[in-house]
Amino acid sequence: MRDALRALRGAGAALTASEPALELRPVVAEPPRLQRAEPLEGDAVRGRIVDGEPIAGFVAFLDGIQESRVLAHWPGGIPLVHGTVAATVRRRRDRTLVAWRDDATRVARTLFVPRAAIGEAAWTAIERECAVRDTLEPGESGPWHPQELTSRALSAVQRRREEAETACAALWCADGDGPLLVDGGIASAGSAAHSPLAIGVVKSHRTLYVDGDALPLVLGLRAGERTTAFTVKSPRRAPVASWYLRLRDAASHDALWGLVRVEVALDGASSARADEVSRWLLAERSPVSLPDPRWGAMAYGVRLTEEYLRAITR
Amino acid sequence: MSVGRVVATERRPNTPHEFHFWTALDAPVGIGTIVRVEGPATGDGRLVSVYGVVVEGFSYTDLQTPLHDVIGADGDPERALRAPTDRTEIRLYTAHSLRHVPDEPLQPVPMGIVHLATDDDVAVALRMDGYLKEGQRTGIPIGVYRSGAMQSPVYLDADFLLGPEAAHLNISGVSGLATKTSAVEWLLSSIFAHFPEQKGSVAAVCFNVKGPDLCFLDLPAEKLDEADRALYDAVGVPAEPFRDVEYYAPWTARGHALATLRTNEALSHNVFPLSWGLREVLQYAEVLLNKDDIDAKADALIDFIRERVVNQEFSDSLLDRVHTVRSFSDLEQWFRDVLRAMEGRNAETWRTHHVATIRKVRNRLTNISTRCRGLVTDDGTSNDLPFGAFRDRAVYVIDVASSEEDAQDLIFARVVSQLREQLERRTLGVDHVVVFVDELNKYAPSDGPDTYVRQMLLDIAERGRYLGLVLFAAQQFRSQVHRRVVGNCGTALFGRMDLEELATPGYATLAPATRIKLSTLDKGQLMVRHPHFAQPVFVRFPRPAVLSGREGVERFPAEPEPSLESAVTRSLRKLDPSVTLEWVKQATVAASEDDVLRARNRTLQARPDDVKAYFRAQFRGRAASEAIPSRPAPLPLAGADSNDPYAF
Repeated sequence: MRDALRALRGAGAALTASEPALELRPVVAEPPRLQRAEPLEGDAVRGRIVDGEPIAGFVAFLDGIQESRVLAHWPGGIPLVHGTVAATVRRRRDRTLVAWRDDATRVARTLFVPRAAIGEAAWTAIERECAVRDTLEPGESGPWHPQELTSRALSAVQRRREEAETACAALWCADGDGPLLVDGGIASAGSAAHSPLAIGVVKSHRTLYVDGDALPLVLGLRAGERTTAFTVKSPRRAPVASWYLRLRDAASHDALWGLVRVEVALDGASSARADEVSRWLLAERSPVSLPDPRWGAMAYGVRLTEEYLRAITR
Repeated sequence: MSVGRVVATERRPNTPHEFHFWTALDAPVGIGTIVRVEGPATGDGRLVSVYGVVVEGFSYTDLQTPLHDVIGADGDPERALRAPTDRTEIRLYTAHSLRHVPDEPLQPVPMGIVHLATDDDVAVALRMDGYLKEGQRTGIPIGVYRSGAMQSPVYLDADFLLGPEAAHLNISGVSGLATKTSAVEWLLSSIFAHFPEQKGSVAAVCFNVKGPDLCFLDLPAEKLDEADRALYDAVGVPAEPFRDVEYYAPWTARGHALATLRTNEALSHNVFPLSWGLREVLQYAEVLLNKDDIDAKADALIDFIRERVVNQEFSDSLLDRVHTVRSFSDLEQWFRDVLRAMEGRNAETWRTHHVATIRKVRNRLTNISTRCRGLVTDDGTSNDLPFGAFRDRAVYVIDVASSEEDAQDLIFARVVSQLREQLERRTLGVDHVVVFVDELNKYAPSDGPDTYVRQMLLDIAERGRYLGLVLFAAQQFRSQVHRRVVGNCGTALFGRMDLEELATPGYATLAPATRIKLSTLDKGQLMVRHPHFAQPVFVRFPRPAVLSGREGVERFPAEPEPSLESAVTRSLRKLDPSVTLEWVKQATVAASEDDVLRARNRTLQARPDDVKAYFRAQFRGRAASEAIPSRPAPLPLAGADSNDPYAF
């Protein structure tokens, strides 16, 4: 960050006062939707009780974080965004999370700049001082709405974070020695989408992979119950096996609270596999991840991994 | 071995005197651990080391409220134990700085790596390197600092323990946990083994104030295990009893035996009576007389008696005869003569002294021999400590445990005064004397009347170090001892303490965890404050290598008070082994008990070459002057006349 500030000051940008992270700003997200998925376990999505007692099965956790701030404005209101992304795999040993290996922790700090908007001279000056990435496509020309540039920078940061997570997941899938809990889906995580070691846990549900008839069934799942598995397909992602699992009863929360969608490689997916992974996830309900607001669906190992990343990036 | 890392936050910053560090959960760090912080190199390439002692420890997890743990375990503690991941926990310690190297500039402790202190580190941290240099060693081992498998000897500086820089030692601790007496016995052994030759000679005078605590210092301990011996080896102190010990005790009230628990015949060779006559006592009459007794008038009369009457011929035209007052009985006769003379003339004053004053002083002085019976003799004989012939590395134990309070005060006042006077004149025989007093709160209480003994203790505490007169004092409650006495003690030892005592203001400077540790110390553990140590440190010391009082009285039970003849035989045998019980019976057959005891006391005091002859000679003069008067012849019985019909 200090390098970036020095570079911007040198290039003649107007530094901003300390602003909140872009991730905290309200964003216009894609609208919630329902999307039918192909049943994998049986001929329709049904609810069932997870077979067996919760049992610890994960040996490692993967998570990534990002934080972006507008550091300065170029004349014309062009935002210059600094982004920090990090991802790591933390291995569980004797009920404690420890570093797995050095290259399984990725941290990158980059200045995201619309190159064409600030000109070559300034770009060169900034590039000499710190890592910088262009947020525009080659050949694009302005003018640009400042908020569009900010959104592009934010998207770029997000891509960088996903790249870091994918790299860490790939390392584990190549050399890991047991199931890895990936915070988020694995469908776009490269080799992880095909590895029996990676299990993705999706906590947000803007897209619900059920049709209208099965929706009440998903929302009505009780703690320890899951849906039958289905296949999630997307044009830009690998197909994966998935199912919904209720970790905690929604009680007074909204119907999606305490609900996760699990993703595993399609190859080898079965009822037994879905039950086994579900038992692992149910075991991760304790310790509780409070005070994180997402604690209803968040494994404590993921929270620790996230805290670790915050500690090393701040 | 690095064990942690210094941290500081805005809320909890580090200062030059206090810093914080975290460690792994299993790091061998606890309250009292000495650590070294290695800071990063400064701009000019200097490496800064800071030594500290841990005074507080914290542990917490990322749990925001206990309720969250309940929620996570669904209210089932067993389930919490089965959680696949333990909550992240931190061990955070607070340490107080012991020393910065270099000393200047004194800056806040840097964010460095924390190491466990090594032997060398301990020496530097406690500034012992200054007095452990070859050729200038003045270190006296007080124990070992233990951390994990490492144990480092901790030394006190003799210059600051026995003078002249600072002096005196105070020990606090609850009773019955082998702290106070054991620590002093151990420390005396250590002093005797390590007192620097260039500082001269040293002896100890110990007042045994309760039970048999100090009665067996010359006998080896029964329970000295390997761990204790290892501690002795670690600090270079021989694990053996004191080689040169003498015991002194007043007589019992009957006078047949000494008032001590060391009366077993097998141990009597170095037990001696402590008894004083009028001359010795009158000098310290103030000790036994309270403020109400000694007004200016009474004081003047006592001075008059001391200077004009005692140990010299005194004549006055009004008196019946010339008096030579050498004993309390002589003094009583002198008083009687004076009062008789005044009554005869119906005079209210004699030599400006009012009759009421004379009666009052007579009452107070003459009953001293009653109040201190066994210690004070009516006849003026005296058996005393070997003032002028004190030996290097000798221990002189004065057993006052069985004595009344007045006698204890008198013994304490006179012995300490004699030590002070002779040290001043350099005639004691040694250069330094350690005086050990237990129950200091009794002799120098923080409140109550200002007594002679308290004044004297204050005087020693404030000026004794220049003379070589060093006070080692112990008490259960330091807060109840006069502030100036404890304040002048350069070194303070603390054993296990009572929590209520720790709540008093005197302990406010200690961190809460240190106070709690003090309340739970094991036997053989001490917290030490010493002028060279910037902060108190915890040490372990071995069991004393001497027989404990309790074991001593079991192995050498005190003997019942013997008959008069047996008591005299036992006493005289020490001077002449050929003395037998039969001989004593024959020699004393015509003498009263008082005369026999007087003869014994005089013989013990004189220690003549021919003990028997000297002892016999004590009866001759008295037998002549106090011949038993012949009885009148009995009248002849009536009835001898046969003509008397009523005769028997």
